[in-house]
Amino acid sequence: MSHVETEHAAAAHHAPPAPRRTGWRRWAFGPGWPRAIWMTFLFFGIGAGIVFFFRWLGGYDPTWDWEPIIVVGALTAAPIGFLAGLGAFDYWVYYLSGRPTRPEDHSGHGARGWTDYFRVNTDHKVIGVQYVTTTIFFFLAGGLMAMLVRAELARPGMQVSDTQTYNQFFSVHASLMIFLFVIPAFAGLANYVLPLMIGAPDMAFPRLNALSYWLLPIAGIMMLSSFLAPGFGAGWTNYVPLADTQPFGNVFFSMAVQWAGASSIMTALNFLVTIITMRAPGMTFWRMPLLVWANFTTSLLVVLATPFIAGSQFFVMFDRVLHTNFFHVAEGGYPLGYQHIFWFYSHPAVYIMILPGFGIISEVISTFSRKPIFGYRLMALSLVAILILGFSVWAHHMFVSGMANWLRVPMMITTLLIAVPTGIKVFSWLATTWEGRIWVSTPMLWAMGFVTMFVIGGLSGIFLGAVPIDIHVSDTYFIVAHIHYVLLGGSLFTIFAGIYYWFPKMTGRMYNERLGKLHFWVTFVAFNVTFFPMHIIGVQGAPRRYADLGAEYADWNLFISISSFFLGASFIVFVYNMVVSWIRGPLTTANPWRARTLEWQVSSPPPIFNFDEIPQVVGNPYEYGVPGARHAVMNGDRVGDPDRVPAE
Amino acid sequence: MHRGAIVRLVVLGIVLGLGATAVAILIPWLPDSASDQAEEIDFVFWFVTGICIIVFSIVASIAVYSVLKFRAPPDDDSDGLPIHGHTGIEIVWTVGPFVLVTAMAIVSAVALARNEKVPDDAMVVNVVGRQFAWQFMYPPANAPDPGENMLECDQEAVKSRCVTSGQLHLPVDVPIHLRMRADDVLHSFWVPEFRQKQDLLPGQVTTLVITPTKVGQYEVLCTELCGLGHSTMRSAAIVSNRAEFDKWKQEAGKQTSGGGGAGQAVFAQNGCGSCHTLKAANATGTTGPDLDKLPDEARQARKPLEAFVRESIVNPDAYVQPGYPKGVMPKTYAGLPKEQLDALVQYLVRSSKGGGSR
Repeated sequence: MSHVETEHAAAAHHAPPAPRRTGWRRWAFGPGWPRAIWMTFLFFGIGAGIVFFFRWLGGYDPTWDWEPIIVVGALTAAPIGFLAGLGAFDYWVYYLSGRPTRPEDHSGHGARGWTDYFRVNTDHKVIGVQYVTTTIFFFLAGGLMAMLVRAELARPGMQVSDTQTYNQFFSVHASLMIFLFVIPAFAGLANYVLPLMIGAPDMAFPRLNALSYWLLPIAGIMMLSSFLAPGFGAGWTNYVPLADTQPFGNVFFSMAVQWAGASSIMTALNFLVTIITMRAPGMTFWRMPLLVWANFTTSLLVVLATPFIAGSQFFVMFDRVLHTNFFHVAEGGYPLGYQHIFWFYSHPAVYIMILPGFGIISEVISTFSRKPIFGYRLMALSLVAILILGFSVWAHHMFVSGMANWLRVPMMITTLLIAVPTGIKVFSWLATTWEGRIWVSTPMLWAMGFVTMFVIGGLSGIFLGAVPIDIHVSDTYFIVAHIHYVLLGGSLFTIFAGIYYWFPKMTGRMYNERLGKLHFWVTFVAFNVTFFPMHIIGVQGAPRRYADLGAEYADWNLFISISSFFLGASFIVFVYNMVVSWIRGPLTTANPWRARTLEWQVSSPPPIFNFDEIPQVVGNPYEYGVPGARHAVMNGDRVGDPDRVPAE
Repeated sequence: MHRGAIVRLVVLGIVLGLGATAVAILIPWLPDSASDQAEEIDFVFWFVTGICIIVFSIVASIAVYSVLKFRAPPDDDSDGLPIHGHTGIEIVWTVGPFVLVTAMAIVSAVALARNEKVPDDAMVVNVVGRQFAWQFMYPPANAPDPGENMLECDQEAVKSRCVTSGQLHLPVDVPIHLRMRADDVLHSFWVPEFRQKQDLLPGQVTTLVITPTKVGQYEVLCTELCGLGHSTMRSAAIVSNRAEFDKWKQEAGKQTSGGGGAGQAVFAQNGCGSCHTLKAANATGTTGPDLDKLPDEARQARKPLEAFVRESIVNPDAYVQPGYPKGVMPKTYAGLPKEQLDALVQYLVRSSKGGGSR
C-alpha cells in the first residue's frame, strides 16, 4: 500500500517540517515506541509515588499498599504515559506550552509502509485498518475463551478449569466480545468508510481519532491481564455485591471499561461532528447512505449512554478502593441501583452493537440486489425510533431483579414496541431483494444470513419481552441463545459482511471468493447447531453461568460443545483468507461491486486525502436501475457509470 | 407479481411454517407444569410461539424465495427494477406488527397480574439465600407483620417459633407467599416446574406467589451468579398432601427447637451439605473440603481438632485446605448464635471421628 501522491502533496502544499532532533535523542525522546516504553514506567512510578506520598501523609498503614498503587499507577497513570510516549498528545502539549505547532505537517498522516500502522496516525483510513485488525485479535482471544468454556461444559463435573477460572473465562469472553470487538469493530469500519461516503477528506478531529484508537489496546490488555491479578469472575454485568467479593482482578475490568468507554465516546463525538459539518456540498441528510444514518444514531446513543456504565464501574471500584458505600447494604447502599445504572447504558449498548450493522446490511443488500433501498426514509426514521425507544426499555433486563413491580408492564410495552421499527427494517431489506438481480457474493451471503438469524434472535427477544415468559427463562440458557442469535448471528455476521464488502476498498486486493463462501457456510451451520439447542435446554430449566450443569443436560452439552469447536474452527478459514489475500490477492479495481456510494468512486485504496476534489452530490445514493440517475459529480466526471470510474 | 409467484411463495411459507411448528411440538420444551402460575405462563408461551411461527414463516419464505428466484446469472450486469417504496405496503408492515405486539402485551399483562396476586389465605414461607445454600422458614400463623423490609422470622420475638429447613416443603393446592431476602450477594429462586422466579437481595424483601398443584419433588435452583459455588446452590421443593406436610412440620419443629444438642439441625438449616460432604448428615457436596476428613485436615493445619473446626467456621481463610481456593467459604457463619455454633462444632467433631449422628 503506497501513496505516491502523498509525497507530492506534502511537498507542494505544506510548510517544510521544523528542524528535528537527530540520532539517539530522536530515538529516545521523539514520539514512538522507545519513548512509550520508558514513559509507561515513568508514569507508573509517578502514580505509585503519589499514592505512597498521600498514604504516608495521612499515616495509613501499610504505607506501601499494592491495591491502590496498581489502580493509580498501573491502571490509570501508566496508560497515560504510554499514550504520551507514543505521541498521542504531542500536538496539544506543543500548543498548550506555546511551542510552535505544525498544523500543516502531515508526517503523521497516512501509511507509506506497514510500520505506519504501529504509530499514532491521523489518517482515518489507517485508523480504520488499525481498529479492524486490533478488534479481530481480541475477537480471536475472546473466542478462545468461549472454546475453553465449552470444553469445560462438554462433560459433567470439572475437568478443564476450577470454578473461579471458569467464571473468569465467561466473564472475560463477554467483556472482550462486547467492549473490544463488536463496538470498536463497527467504529473501525465506519472510521474507514464514513468520511469517504459523505465526501470528506478525513474525520473532523483526526488527532482525537488517533487517540481513540490507541485507548483500545490499553483496554484490551487490561481486560486480559485481569487473569493475572487474579480473577474477574462476576460476569460481564459485574453485579454488586458479588463484585465486591471478587478478587482484585475486578478492578481491572472496571478500569478497562473506562478506557474502552472513553474511546467509544470520543469516536462517537467525532462521527457526529464529522457527519454534521463535513458532508460534501449537496449531501443533505436525506441523501446520506444508510450506513451514515446508522452511525449518526449509534453515535448519539454512545454519547448519551456510555457515561452511565463509566459511572457504574467507578462506583464499584470506589466501594472497593476508597471504601465508599454506594452499594454496601450495611452502610445504606443500594445494590439494585447498580443494575439500573448499568442497564441504562447496557441496554442502549445492544443497539450500539446492532445499528451500525443495520447500516452495513443496507449498503450490501442494495448493492448486490442492484436495487434502491426500499422505503429509504422509513429506514432512516426507524433508526431514530430505535434510538429513542432504546432509552426507555432498560429495566426489561430486571424483570425478576426485585425492582418496583409497577415498572414491569410499561417496560414490557416499550420493549415489544421496538419490534415495530425493527420489523420495518427487516421487511424493507426483503422488499429490496424482491425483483432484484441478486449477486450472491460473500458479503451478500452474510447479509442474508444476518437477516434470517436476526429474525430468530428478534423473535426470541419477543419471548423475553413478555414478562411472564421472561420470569421463567430469565438467567437460563435461553438468554445465552438469544444473545448469541442477536450478537453473533446479528452483529458478527454484519461485521463479516462489512469486512468482505470493503476488503477490496481497504487493501486494493480481492479476497478469495470460494474461501469466503466456505467460511460463511461453515459458520452459518455450526452457529445454528451450537446455539439453537441452547433455547431448548434453557426452557427446560438449565441456568446459565453454571460451571457444572450436571448429568441432566450432559448429552446436549456434549453436542453443543462439539458444534462450537466447528464454529471456532470456521474463523481459521477467515483469518487465512484475509491474511493471504491482503499479501498477494489479485489487484482489484476502484469499484468491483459497481456500487453507487462515494467510497467506490475513488481508487482502491483511496488517495491519502480521499478526493482530488470534493465531490458535488446531486442525487440519492442507491439509484440502481434509474436511467440517467447520478449520486455525485466527481472531478467533473460522471459518476455511476461503471465503465468510467476515475483512473487511479 | 404474478399469480404463480404468489402460489409458490405461499406454499414455501406453509412448508416453513409446518417445519417450525414441528420444532415447537416435537421437542419437549417446557418442563412439567406443577403450579397454577405455570399454567398462566405456559399459555403466554404458546400464544407468543404461535405468533412467532407465523412471522418467521413469512420472513423466511420471502428471503429464501428472493435469493432463489431473483438470482442474477453470472454474466448479467443489469440492474433490478428501480422500486423506491410503496406507501401502502409500508403502512401494512408498520401497523401489522404493532397490532401483534399489542395483543402479546395484553395477554402478558393479564397473566402477570394474575400471577402477582397474593390470595388472602396464602401461607407465608420465609426464604433466605446465602452462599451457597437455601434456608426455608415457616413462621407461626399468628406472627406479627414485620413490615416491608424484614422477614417474619427475622423478628426476635418470632425467631424461636419458626420451623426451619434446608428444603422447601409445601402442601399441595395451597397458595404460598414466599417472602425472601439474601444474606450476602444476590441469589435467585427458581423451580422450573413452578416457572416463577425472583431474585433475592440483601437488605430488601422480595416476594413470589406459587400454588403447587402436583405432589412430587422438584429442584430449587439459584439462577443469579453468586460466586464459586453457584452451580451447587440447589435444594429440593417437596410438595406433599396436607396431612403429610403437617406431619413433617411438626417433626421439623421438634428438631429445630431441640436446643444446644441439635448440631445436626444447625448443619441442615444452614445448608452446609450443599458444599461439604459429611456421611453422618447424608451430605455429598464437593465444593468445599470433605468434613469426614476433618481430623486429617486439622493435623495438616497443626491445630487441635475442635479449635480447628471452630476457626474454620468463624474465620474460614485462616487455614485453607490445599486444593481448595481461598475466599469461597462465606464468612457470615461467624454470626451464628453462640449455642448453635457450639452445637455445630461438637456435631462436626463427633461425626468426623466416626461418632455417628447423635
